[in-house]
Amino acid sequence: MRSSRPETAHPTSSNEYQHLAPLFDELAELPEDDPRRSEIRDKLVTGHLPLAEHIAQRFSGRGVAKEDLVQVATVGLINAVDRFDAERGSDFLSFAVPTVMGEVRRHFRDTGWLVRVPRRLKELHLSISSASTELAQRLGRAPTPSEIAAHLEISQDEVYEGLEAGNAYHSMSLDEVLSGDTDNLALGDTLGEEDSGLEGVENHEALLPLIRELPERERKILGLRFVHNMTQTQIAERIGVSQMHVSRLLARTLERLREGLIGQEEE
Amino acid sequence: MVRRLQPNVGEVNVIDSEPPDLHTPGDLGLEDIELRLAADLVNLPIVRSVVATIATRADFDLDAIADLRLAVDEACSTLITRAVPGTVMHCRFTVSGDSLCFVGTVRSETGAEPSTKSFGWRVLTTLTDSVHSRISSNGQFHRLDIELAKRRVVVEVPGAGA
Repeated sequence: MRSSRPETAHPTSSNEYQHLAPLFDELAELPEDDPRRSEIRDKLVTGHLPLAEHIAQRFSGRGVAKEDLVQVATVGLINAVDRFDAERGSDFLSFAVPTVMGEVRRHFRDTGWLVRVPRRLKELHLSISSASTELAQRLGRAPTPSEIAAHLEISQDEVYEGLEAGNAYHSMSLDEVLSGDTDNLALGDTLGEEDSGLEGVENHEALLPLIRELPERERKILGLRFVHNMTQTQIAERIGVSQMHVSRLLARTLERLREGLIGQEEE
Repeated sequence: MVRRLQPNVGEVNVIDSEPPDLHTPGDLGLEDIELRLAADLVNLPIVRSVVATIATRADFDLDAIADLRLAVDEACSTLITRAVPGTVMHCRFTVSGDSLCFVGTVRSETGAEPSTKSFGWRVLTTLTDSVHSRISSNGQFHRLDIELAKRRVVVEVPGAGA
């Protein structure tokens, strides 16, 4: 992994955590099954939380919500507390900082851009995404690449590039984090309607349990597309996410259903 | 037709043979793009990115591009799960006028056509303007084709689809 940025600098002064250091020695002396261990561990984690927050802060503004980053960094911190060996004589911070950063980086790798995509392309992708939302509202249908190019005053080749970059974007990402709440899905159709819309389908009985297991939003999108025959752009408007995100969710949902159906046949 | 033979066992195993009666070389039109790849689900991402690239460059709208991607994914999954293991899938893409046509072909294990009542077929008919499957047998093999087509909206942007 490339690391041209100066990430080794401590995000915070080590003096701030000086008072916690004796707790590690105390922890090391307690036997494995001592009930006080978890109490001390809690204190260590809570005491070092600002460290996790600082590191999360450093990675913010890269397309993942701050709260998520803090959560991931906290997981890294807990791992660091658990793995830290006080007897080796090293300082906890110099062990914890790379551990927490590693956890955050892994999160980006796993949930963000699958492939290292240059910043320019990510930005291009974002501007194409917002242009397509705007054009869709004006046109009443999804725009074509040439319309997006004309709107953004860039070449069609650039639009192709930006659209392609979007394919490297993992489905669990920006939109996912930003639009996680499903309250706005209450409007519209009930699950019952979607069920009856699929009644003619022969593997109905096998399919329904799989559909019911889907997260609410995925189930809704599936119903709107394949029962109510709405376009992805219409669904995007209704659900409040981008068309590209609807597309990713649909792809993932269909794949999941296919796997589920194949799995049942094999049983 | 190229066949690789595996002579080390008592019987002859045909391992990399084409489905029967495939297009002769001169059959490939200038507008056509053809792919041959192992009929294996790991290849799905390749086929769907090819169809997306073709549709994008033909200036299909973003909904249609996404639909084609899903439809080709679905069609190829059906083809691959029915294909004789170890055989090849052929995919042909043709853009003509205002539509993109995809034909996928495999050597099928069964002589039965995919059901048009399955959820997968519902997916295909929703995503495309037309979809057909065809099974043909020559006594030795079954050949399964799934053909789908989607039309594009015509837009007035200078240089569109260039």
